[in-house]
Amino acid sequence: MFTTLITLLSHYKRHPGQLAMLLLGLWVASALWSGVQAINASARDSYARAEALFTTGLDRLERRDGQPLTRDDYLRLRRAGLPVSPLLEGTLEAPDGTRLTVIGIEPFTLPGDNAFATAGSTSELAAFLTPPWQTRVAPDTLPALGIADRQAPGDEPRLTDERRLPPLVLAPSLPPDTLVMDIAAASMLLDSGETLSRLVTASNALDEAPPGLVLTRATTLASPGQLTESFHLNLTAMALLALVVGLFIVQAALGLALEQRLTMLRTLRALGVSGRRLVGLLALELLLLGIIGALAGIVSGVWLARLLLPDVAATLGSLYGAGVTAELSLPWHYWVGGVAVTLGGLFLAGAGVLWRAARLSVLGLGQAQAWRAGFRRQLTYMTLAGALVASIGLALWAWLAGQPPGEGLLAGFGLMAALLLASALWLPPLLAALLAGLERLVRRRPLAQWALADLQLQLPRLSLAMMALLIALSANLGVSSMVGGFRLTFLDWLEQRLVADLYLRPPAEQFEEIETWLGERREVAERLPTRRTEATLYEVERNGSTRGLALPTNLYGITPGDALMPSWPLLDTLAGRDAAWQAFRDGEAFINEQLAIGEGLAPGDRLTLGAPQGREQVTVVAVYPDYGNTQGEVLFATAQLASRFGAPPGSIGIVLAPGADEAALGQALTRRFGLGSDSLVDQREVKRIATGIFERTFTITRALSALTLGVAALALLASLLAQARERRRQLAPLWALGVPRSQLVRIQLSQLGAAALVTGALAIPLGIVLALGLVAVINVAAFGWRLPLFLFPGEIALTLATAVAVALLATALPAITLWRTPPRALLAEEANT
Amino acid sequence: MSATRLVATGLTLLWLAGCDTERDDAAPGEPAGFAGLGEEAGDFAQAHEGITLRFPEDHAAHPDYRIEWWYLTANLEDDSGEPLGLQWTLFRQAITSPEERPAPTPWAADQLWMAHMAVSRGETHRVAERFARSHSADELDDRDGQAGARAQPFRAWIDHWQLASHIETSDETTGEATEADTFAELELTAHQDDEHGGFGYALTLTAEGPLVLHGLEGFSQKSADGQGSMSSGSMYYSQPFWRVEGEVALDGESRTVSGRGWLDREWSSQLLGAEQRGWDWFSLHLESGHKLMAFQLRGGGADGGDYRSGTWIAPDGEPTALAPDEIDMTPLETRRVAGRDVPTHWRLAIPRAGLDLSIEAPHAERWMDTSVPYWEGEVVARDADSGENRGVGYLEMTGY
Repeated sequence: MFTTLITLLSHYKRHPGQLAMLLLGLWVASALWSGVQAINASARDSYARAEALFTTGLDRLERRDGQPLTRDDYLRLRRAGLPVSPLLEGTLEAPDGTRLTVIGIEPFTLPGDNAFATAGSTSELAAFLTPPWQTRVAPDTLPALGIADRQAPGDEPRLTDERRLPPLVLAPSLPPDTLVMDIAAASMLLDSGETLSRLVTASNALDEAPPGLVLTRATTLASPGQLTESFHLNLTAMALLALVVGLFIVQAALGLALEQRLTMLRTLRALGVSGRRLVGLLALELLLLGIIGALAGIVSGVWLARLLLPDVAATLGSLYGAGVTAELSLPWHYWVGGVAVTLGGLFLAGAGVLWRAARLSVLGLGQAQAWRAGFRRQLTYMTLAGALVASIGLALWAWLAGQPPGEGLLAGFGLMAALLLASALWLPPLLAALLAGLERLVRRRPLAQWALADLQLQLPRLSLAMMALLIALSANLGVSSMVGGFRLTFLDWLEQRLVADLYLRPPAEQFEEIETWLGERREVAERLPTRRTEATLYEVERNGSTRGLALPTNLYGITPGDALMPSWPLLDTLAGRDAAWQAFRDGEAFINEQLAIGEGLAPGDRLTLGAPQGREQVTVVAVYPDYGNTQGEVLFATAQLASRFGAPPGSIGIVLAPGADEAALGQALTRRFGLGSDSLVDQREVKRIATGIFERTFTITRALSALTLGVAALALLASLLAQARERRRQLAPLWALGVPRSQLVRIQLSQLGAAALVTGALAIPLGIVLALGLVAVINVAAFGWRLPLFLFPGEIALTLATAVAVALLATALPAITLWRTPPRALLAEEANT
Repeated sequence: MSATRLVATGLTLLWLAGCDTERDDAAPGEPAGFAGLGEEAGDFAQAHEGITLRFPEDHAAHPDYRIEWWYLTANLEDDSGEPLGLQWTLFRQAITSPEERPAPTPWAADQLWMAHMAVSRGETHRVAERFARSHSADELDDRDGQAGARAQPFRAWIDHWQLASHIETSDETTGEATEADTFAELELTAHQDDEHGGFGYALTLTAEGPLVLHGLEGFSQKSADGQGSMSSGSMYYSQPFWRVEGEVALDGESRTVSGRGWLDREWSSQLLGAEQRGWDWFSLHLESGHKLMAFQLRGGGADGGDYRSGTWIAPDGEPTALAPDEIDMTPLETRRVAGRDVPTHWRLAIPRAGLDLSIEAPHAERWMDTSVPYWEGEVVARDADSGENRGVGYLEMTGY
């Protein structure tokens, strides 16, 4: 049995290219898949830790007027018997620039058992509470503090401003970049004096907010896991695509390896090796290859994840406010899962090979024509399977059309997958039909006819590589159209939204004073104060029928002035822009696209919102786009938001008069009110930050889609290289008949160039449909915004060129060898067959 | 009876045990004595013989000592004559020695506070617990923290639970400070919400007798080797003569009650010997008008036996300290409570006072399931021979 296995494997010794291709396919597929899974696993671990943190699950109390709560407020409420606990939260900068969240807690009043769990066991409580206090920190935060795990406990790392943290104690269950310490230590580090960030209380411990305070229920704060679900689904879909493309290579390589070993297999059967044992040994071979490929893939996947994770973490942080560690943390099931997925994929890809080996006829002859007949049958199957997948896709599409917009992310991905798979399955029958048709056209030209017939003969082996190429090309095109289109829309939108030259975030207690002062300055043409608060959306009235809700909703206040109104983008209005703005000034509301899509709202609907003085009713007069936000929002005029909803002051946008000196105003402001340098931001900076966030959001998508295309190119290259020797044998008789080598090379180049061109040409409409699906289905479900479809001819041309270039490159290498081979050698090869 | 307080205060000592480097008489990692109450005094002030108690000052907190409590129990009856018991205790624990006290920055603390409240009636026993922190400099700044204890006018509180005098200290017409004894009449208010509808009380306490100093003019020795400054012991006085009236709420139902209460005040820096592991503590209101306080500390007596001590209090408040060999204490019967065998039936004999009592808890389910758990409940005292009713009181047992 061992001998038989060695005999089977000896094939790869003679054809190391095939082995390389097989392993390459496995490696790439498993690397991309496990890389993305590593990212997802680390992110999930971070979410789980964030959700386990004591602050989640607690209701919050803050002052209605936006001023910070103080220790006296806390004591007053405690003396009144309210079970509140003080919490101090702030950020500090680590020496490497990482922003660390400092959370100061009061363990005696913090609700729940997890308070003590957070502070450590009860025996350590005294050390936690008394000087020099303790800093509880997760091990993966240590690199930011510049220390190694081993020396961490007890170390007192320095911060950028030379101050030291209390001695470290490791607490692996804390979220990344979070420092938890006693409130006394935190208050010294953050220099917050007697003030508090907020008061917290056990969920639903209070029926209503005490006077002057706002109560935010824990249940209204969505968990990071929920928010980012769609983001991770996107990543997983991309990884799955890469896995599928990689498995195409694997199947091509396996098919080829079996093809060339048919004679050997027959010999083995004739020598008495039973069919069952042969299949078993082939399966063993697959297992060996699979384990090697999977291990290599996982190692590279982890490396890839490590490379991409900082970007992913930054994106999740800026888009969803979810803290994700930039350090990988992989549970054991990640490793097992990675190997299992690769092996599963491999056996799926190898199932056909095993099936054929099992049905191997001992006496059959390995004839190319016979093979072709088999391929005909295969084409029929492919057409039928393609039709089946397409009808599944159609069914999904029909189902999605009946769903409210913003639902069915998974079905959306299913639709995309069905589309890709159906197209890929139909590609070989289409190419075969095309070749047959062309063959009829060129009957009079024997060489062209030979070229077409020869291409038909190559098609079985090429088809898988071409299918992979089609999928990768169209996915790449779809993704780049979506990202590019989004980029245009987003930048445009940013331009429209950011009308002020300077943005000022004054301390709440100085807000009025600063606003008045600004109003008296000549440099200031217009002030655009904003406010923000939250309210519960209780009811929606649409066409006379009322629907009850209890949706926590963000309220945002803007100043409808000369600067803002003309440029603020609106998607839909009740009775035109002017009427909408007029109604808006009079106290009606706009809603963002996310809310409109999520709740199925349109201009003209009436909303009932919870307000301090009871409930407020407003009419929706317009819908506006709100990229970069993932949650629903209701927009009011700032003055309305302040008077009706008691929203605390937010930032002030400053529109400068023509020719005003921006720097001088900034200095005057800082001098007069003693503001910190970070409270005044200019518009360019805001745009830079926003664009940065945007770019990071799609870095991963683009990187994965480019990698997938690379994999497909490799697939094509590998399958062509693998059959190069065999091809030479078929070219030799032509040369012997007098066709010059240069022409043979040209024929080969044009054969594959044309096939790739056709594939590329098919990828274009497919890519466009894919882009449409991404912007109209996936994005709406994942982010809540719909984008116009943008097409980029440059990108399309590039896609086509890539396809052809890959094919030509793949042909060129064997062609050059052919060019250099002395004719004698070619004949000798033919004779040896 | 102050035992319970020991337990609770011990909790904080238990926390401290992890970082106390001065301890040398206990196994490493093991707090000395029950709940760490056997810690050596170290840099803390130490209770000793010869300290003169001063009032009203000593009603307030003594932050230089490690532990302290204000401990009230009451045996009450409602309008229908149904007995009802209550406990309210405020414990203070210094988490740093006076030398290591942190600067009084916002939130910095050197004192921890813990409070227990319990109401019991029949089989029902409701318990609540609270914690707080404070800085001893708060008092100097005349700022009230989340918990504290002030002398004039007397007030001890944690959150909205408080035991406070309602006697004015300034004359209403002249505004001048008066010399009134604000400790003579107190209001006790505390309430806790729970899943049964909440429980709590609003009671008026009127002192019908003088304060009683235990041991040697208020120094209560706690082990047989207690001689000199290294000994374990505490400053200990009581007000056992409270007449209690008011309202008690239990499971959302309010009752008008009246009865007798006992308040213990005790502070120390090393209460127990390192080898003492628990105690049994009685406080009794006898029908004769006498009061009796008696306790035994298990271990730490002469030759490793139990150490006993007590005070026999005449109806006019005149105390007689009882020596260890003047108290005879025997458990007669144990009951299974919260998974432990707890002696809820005792024989207590004080031959010198002509007492031979059979003391029994009518309801065994009085387990205090708090951070440091212990048993604390009402008892009925009967003559051991005749079975005649002799009085009521409270029993506290720890270390079971």
